[in-house]
Amino acid sequence: MAHIPDGFLSAPVLVGTAAASAGAVVAATRGRARFAERRAPLLGALTAFVFAVQMLNFPLGAGASAHLLGGVLVAVMVGPWDGILVIFSVVLVQALLFQDGGIAALGANTLNLAVLGAGGGWLVYRWAFILAGRSRQLLAVGIAAFFVAVLTGGAVAAELALSGAVPLTPALVAVGGSHVLVGLSEALITVGILRMVRRARPELLADAPLPSAVTRRWVVGTTAAAVLLAAGSYLASTRPDALEAAVARLGLDRVGVATSLPWADWWPGGPWGRALVGIAAAFGLAWLVFRVAARRDGAL
Amino acid sequence: MAALIEVRGLAYRYPDGAQGVRDVDFGVRAGERVAVLGPNGSGKSTLLLHLNGLLLPTDGEVRVADLPVSEETAPAVRRKVGFVFQEPDDQLFLPTVLEDVAFGPLNAGLSAPEAEARARVELRELGLEGQAERAAHHLSGGERRLASLATVLVSEPEILVLDEPTAALDARARRLVVDLLRDRTETLVVATHDLEVALALCPRALVLDGGRLVADLATADLLRDPDLLERHGLSAPLA
Amino acid sequence: MSFRHLDHWAEVPSLVTRLAPPARLLAMVAVALGAALLPMGAWPQMAALLVLVLAFAATARIPAPAFAARLAGPLFLVLLASCAVLVLAPGEPLWALGPIRVTDTGLVRFGSVVGRATPALGAAVVLVSTLRFPELLEALRKLRLPSAVTTALGLSYRLLYTLADEIERLRRAARSRNAGHGAAGRRRTAMGIAAASLVRSYARSERVHRAMLARGYSGALPQLHAQPMDVRSVVVLLAVSAIVLLVVSSAWL
Repeated sequence: MAHIPDGFLSAPVLVGTAAASAGAVVAATRGRARFAERRAPLLGALTAFVFAVQMLNFPLGAGASAHLLGGVLVAVMVGPWDGILVIFSVVLVQALLFQDGGIAALGANTLNLAVLGAGGGWLVYRWAFILAGRSRQLLAVGIAAFFVAVLTGGAVAAELALSGAVPLTPALVAVGGSHVLVGLSEALITVGILRMVRRARPELLADAPLPSAVTRRWVVGTTAAAVLLAAGSYLASTRPDALEAAVARLGLDRVGVATSLPWADWWPGGPWGRALVGIAAAFGLAWLVFRVAARRDGAL
Repeated sequence: MAALIEVRGLAYRYPDGAQGVRDVDFGVRAGERVAVLGPNGSGKSTLLLHLNGLLLPTDGEVRVADLPVSEETAPAVRRKVGFVFQEPDDQLFLPTVLEDVAFGPLNAGLSAPEAEARARVELRELGLEGQAERAAHHLSGGERRLASLATVLVSEPEILVLDEPTAALDARARRLVVDLLRDRTETLVVATHDLEVALALCPRALVLDGGRLVADLATADLLRDPDLLERHGLSAPLA
Repeated sequence: MSFRHLDHWAEVPSLVTRLAPPARLLAMVAVALGAALLPMGAWPQMAALLVLVLAFAATARIPAPAFAARLAGPLFLVLLASCAVLVLAPGEPLWALGPIRVTDTGLVRFGSVVGRATPALGAAVVLVSTLRFPELLEALRKLRLPSAVTTALGLSYRLLYTLADEIERLRRAARSRNAGHGAAGRRRTAMGIAAASLVRSYARSERVHRAMLARGYSGALPQLHAQPMDVRSVVVLLAVSAIVLLVVSSAWL
């Protein structure tokens, strides 16, 4: 259920996601107006392509077949901002003329598919590209496609849960779980298509400038830190007594630092929820660092 | 008499290194009608794209109405040169045929009502007024070709450049297009591999082969020379 | 392909199609928004908005069977997804069959989802049945959507049709070559078609760009002025918005 129909999301979630995605779309057009208009024929062609390719069937075997969302595919070819605009255009027309995704839910669907799917997809792709190296570009693409599909599933589940339609845990398991499968097929199909495209017209996949060694060290370092932080926060949330003991040993309790994360009690989903937030926080921090490093490096 | 179009020592090299055309020299006087003939890959399209500044020479010079064609002069050159591309679908890119035909006049600064009026007149002249509000994919192949012509003729350019105007057309549509063009007074440069069309429309023929200009002669003389035709990958009419 | 209906559904002239495109668009968006923003359990308000949608559909002279058919597909998907809402809700079960428990919370949630979705989907069907694509573009432009989006969308309409024809040709060529058998083979064929059409899309966009430049394109798509926002359109739009506002606020207050 990548496109959320109308009726499922509550008013606050509709408004919140609409505001967030509107901000992103405006940011994507700000300051690039003239540039984007000269690219209009290409963006129009890609919008049409995403439309058409979403209707194609990719057999998986045993009678099952998959469809392509295309966010990472587009982002790899034209970058995050144009990627957001292309997918937004697709989602807009799908909502207004195809009843694929609700009209009121346009904000949520834009957030999930365009901002997260294409914008976030590009970020994860760049991240993985820096880690994996230029010779493994397609590996980076596959990682991005998989991760972002799962992230999209998580976002849908979170939006449904926050709307009170379904509880978080089953939503995460069902929607998130099914999006793990979507992620696998998305990765497989995106990589397959781009491999053939690269063979025919390699210049279409020519990338942004290679990151410097400094950036590379930052990225590797913060990835490691993020993974440790996420693992640590999960362990801590399931073994609060161990955390308390450690804090006491370090004498931090006297400084009044909260030993249990303040929102842990009301956050839905128990340890799942806390781990989710921990990972999200780690990624957010890492992303910030990446942006600073990449900007210094001129790679963005 | 000063030539309306002057091509001196034109050479063009593609970004990937392939040589498109080289050592091309010719002039076209106002009102002249010239066919550009040659086998596939001979550089006809490449040459034509220089006439309105869509390609800029890597060597040599192109002058149109005494303007040297460059990035700065390209907009002015394009107002004098109407370019009809090989593929009508590439020229009919707006949701309705009317918008497509009005696109040129609107860009030239005409007001919306004026541009619409001109577009409707042009469509009527080509027998397409019933198709104005339709999308191009609802038109037949011949109608699409006429519509693509309309998008250019509406701006009344001095020079018409056409790249394979009768490709993929049936006999009736081909006749329609040729009749339409035959009655016009603009300077004409037509790239085609259809020798009958060349003979019907253009008294003069330029022959390209391997990117070079290998012949510049009267079309009738060319067709009387089977050696020349065969040497450069053209063939005489079968009848 | 399944987008070809776009050119045919909105051809029936009616009182609705005489409204200016922005009014047509905003009226139905208002209804859809209103329905989606209703709180859970607001049954009378959901019914009221549904009636409003049906009134519009009748005024637009959409034949009832056509309306039902266009609504059926997406509504069925909503019903399917709502079943999850029904059975996953917490609370004391009213009725149980094995692991499936239906609680009263579940019933309220299920009913609310379907009750909100139906008028919203109905509004969407009225929209696609009364607004042609060029008119939708005009409405989006008048509503000041970013020109990068409206220009790209404007071009994508024709590009989609030519692309669909290309894909059909590629498919036929693959079939006549007896390409790929079995799931993996067919998948590879599909990926090949997608890749080829992506590369051709790039090439086509370059050619279209050239054709645009040849006719003086300098970055903006100039517009022919179509239907102006007349008084009647404004009045109808305001009336619809007022009704929706009334209905929604009555549910929240």
